[in-house]
Amino acid sequence: MFRTILFALLAVAFYAPTKAQNAEYQSAMEEVVTEIQNSPFGTDLIPMANQMERIAAVERKEWLPNYWAAFCYMLKVYTEPVSEKKDLILDKADQLVSRADSLQPNNDEIAVLQANLASARISIDPQNRWQKYGALSAMALAKAKTINPENPRAALLEAQTVFYTPESFGGGKQKAKPLLQAALDKFAAFKSTSTIMPNWGKEIAAYMMSEAEK
Amino acid sequence: MNRLYFFPIPIFVLLAHFLKAQTMVSGIVTDRRGEPLVGASIAIKGSYDGATSDSLGRFVFKTRKRDSILVSAAYLGYETEAQAHALKGPTLELRFRLKEAFNDLNAVTITAGIFEASDSKRMVMLRPLDIVTTASGNADITAVMQLLPGANRVGEQEGLFVRGGAAYETKTVIDGMIVQNPFFSSTPDVPQRGRFSPFMFKGMAFSTGGYSAQYGQALSSVLLLDTQDKLSEDNTTNVVVHLAGAGVGYTHKGKVSGQLAYTNLAPFLSLVKTNIEFIKPPQGVGGSLTVVEEVSKNAKLKMYATYTDNQNALGLPNYDDGGRIYRFDLRNRNFFTNNTYNVSFAGGKWGWQNGLSYSRNNDGIKIGGFPGDRSDERIQGRSVLKRFWGDKQQNLVLAGTEYHHIKNDNIFGAYRAKLRDNYTAAFAETEFYVGTHFAVRAGFRGEYSSVIDRANAAPRLSVAWKTNQFSQVSFAAGRYYQTPEKNYLYLNRNLGYEIADHYILNYQWSKNDRTFRVEAFDKEYHDLVREYQSAFNPNPFRFPDGPTDNAGSGYARGFDVFFRDKKTIKAADFWLTYSYVDTRRLFQNYPAEAMPIFGSKHNVSVVYKQFITKLMTNVGVTYTYTSGRPYYDAANPTFLGDRTKPYHNVSIAASHIRIVRKNFIVFFMSLDNVFGRRNEFGFRYTSDGQSRFPVIPVSYRTLFFGVSAAFSHRPEMPKEGKLDF
Repeated sequence: MFRTILFALLAVAFYAPTKAQNAEYQSAMEEVVTEIQNSPFGTDLIPMANQMERIAAVERKEWLPNYWAAFCYMLKVYTEPVSEKKDLILDKADQLVSRADSLQPNNDEIAVLQANLASARISIDPQNRWQKYGALSAMALAKAKTINPENPRAALLEAQTVFYTPESFGGGKQKAKPLLQAALDKFAAFKSTSTIMPNWGKEIAAYMMSEAEK
Repeated sequence: MNRLYFFPIPIFVLLAHFLKAQTMVSGIVTDRRGEPLVGASIAIKGSYDGATSDSLGRFVFKTRKRDSILVSAAYLGYETEAQAHALKGPTLELRFRLKEAFNDLNAVTITAGIFEASDSKRMVMLRPLDIVTTASGNADITAVMQLLPGANRVGEQEGLFVRGGAAYETKTVIDGMIVQNPFFSSTPDVPQRGRFSPFMFKGMAFSTGGYSAQYGQALSSVLLLDTQDKLSEDNTTNVVVHLAGAGVGYTHKGKVSGQLAYTNLAPFLSLVKTNIEFIKPPQGVGGSLTVVEEVSKNAKLKMYATYTDNQNALGLPNYDDGGRIYRFDLRNRNFFTNNTYNVSFAGGKWGWQNGLSYSRNNDGIKIGGFPGDRSDERIQGRSVLKRFWGDKQQNLVLAGTEYHHIKNDNIFGAYRAKLRDNYTAAFAETEFYVGTHFAVRAGFRGEYSSVIDRANAAPRLSVAWKTNQFSQVSFAAGRYYQTPEKNYLYLNRNLGYEIADHYILNYQWSKNDRTFRVEAFDKEYHDLVREYQSAFNPNPFRFPDGPTDNAGSGYARGFDVFFRDKKTIKAADFWLTYSYVDTRRLFQNYPAEAMPIFGSKHNVSVVYKQFITKLMTNVGVTYTYTSGRPYYDAANPTFLGDRTKPYHNVSIAASHIRIVRKNFIVFFMSLDNVFGRRNEFGFRYTSDGQSRFPVIPVSYRTLFFGVSAAFSHRPEMPKEGKLDF
């Protein structure tokens, strides 16, 4: 009984300042997440990645700033003109995502991002890299689906993989259609637990579906 | 109510502003040369305050922090710089000059004399996959290496002839261990394939000289092959059927793999018109077992063992007997095992690599019914301790030792030759960076060979300097010793080491999948074995029974150029090499200094590959040119003064990939020397010098095809396409 009271007192004592801190964190995060989500494809997301890293440097226990910074770097790969720099960017993203993973182990969103990063590695040199990074990507994706079979971003990556695989390799737009539909269904059912949690990809799925229906 | 609630906020903010004044922090972030860095992150420790530098490297932001602050600027690929400041006035002007961090992209690499193919490293010029997709390469590692700068084409014999060097001057090294018999056993004028499949390796480095102190016993070159690590946990079955045989393999959980192969060239020989009479078509069986296991997080065990049994019989012309055909029988049995155990400890600061290998090779040979058997064995142990340091552990100092016990037995008609050698070597080397733009590798190797009872000590040095983001200059020099060839040692154990000194200067430019490189070299040979005869005997297969010493010498000087472009044409790969070498030698039984018969002044190769995504087909064409090679004609007063006509070859290859229920099926075909040009490699004269026989390819035009399939249980398809968002 005494322990319970002590615990409750301690909890109250620490709760107040934490909450104040949280409010600042929450609003700062919301601002950057909104900015990321409202940026059209091709926007330089490095300022947002930098801001996320600054937040991560203060909030050492939060995985989300690391997650979002890694997400920005992942997108950067697809707009970086110097191919030699792409691996450097992905090294940075990997570093951020593994920090997120250590703060929040067994998280489906982190696993999906890891799978996406492995896929980005493949896109740099598909012929030579699919063997290593294809396996890594598949492993991370399988992990994400085990944790949360309803994760729409896992379903999206699965559909994307088929979408961009040539038809003669067993992929193609038609084959991707049912998978895209499944991803869209999961996006429709998806309820984000907070405004700063990962909630991206619906537009990509919709765009790819429109391409597949052409 | 709403209005009331809304109203106080600006007042509060205003109040806060007065209570807690803000400071305007501004400034610029540049590199050490003063070039602005765009997108750098400026942060104040302990707060969210900060900014990102703009296109001029400038930044500005406000902070409520008071008193002393720690401001840092970070930029991808640069070292983060932190500055402590006191906030006094309303503004603070800062200047950051960031130092480049060490990474794969900006760090200089020693490129003099080395040509790398690797999966793991990023700045390489070839990938292991290139071996199987190159026309005229026939999925043979050595055949593709011959298309690289520095290699001189010799059509009638296996091996790598590097920059005027003979085939014996190149050693093949797997995971640090010398391979005693890298090729299938030699038969006269029929070049043999390498024993190892390119799929076994994750990386290959072809040194054209100036190589590291970790390797020795090769006057010209080493071909370094690194075996695959464990790739996945998959079970895979693979089957291959082609014109010359069939094979089957199974990999269990990605770590234990067994392969069986049967070869028989009968179907191939029935389709292709050959210039050599095959009395018994080459045939054989072989098998291998591979274990790759990560024993713990920091320890890797690799075990490989293979056994092959091959035989064939040829009908060859006897040059001493007016060209009468005699029978040459060969049965080769070869066992080879190579095992390595590598550990790293103290967080990767220390590495310890150990290897143990054994090979036994038996050639049962009958020349016109007379035995000419040869056999060899090599037991080899190697241990290398490495210490890494630096922020990316980019610097390294290593020390290692090697021991080989080599046995050779040979029957040459009346001679029964025997050779036993205990070879020991010790080496130490350091490789370190001065900043990111300058690298040094310096090493020292000492060797002792019991058969000649001599020791040697050889220094090696390479330096590399990065001239800008995309280009660099390297220089390499070193001394290389090699124990004389066994054929000479059988009769004379007083011979000393043969020596080559290398000097190499290299320039390389590489950007966006385009590479240009040019390399100049000078190789000086000393102490080459000379054999004295009353008259020159041109028979390359004779037993050297004349008196011998180390009075030979020679040189090879020249340059080579390489250009590769994977960018201009989508899904295409193009490369061009040109090698020039001026080489002359006085060695073996040469009566005078001359360009050796394996030498050629000009070598060109043009390789083009295109992947056609719609057809899932890879097509390739390769053109090779070699200028005329010397041959011996007794009637010519100038020794080796004659030249063959130049060699031209256009080869094509195609492979088509099909996926059936997630299993890969690859159909492949190749056509060598499409236009059937009658290439010649030299001439052999009868002993009276009256008639001659051209040395020509096994066939003028070669067709080959087959199919291979891999059945795996990979949960996902490999992503071939490019991801887009």
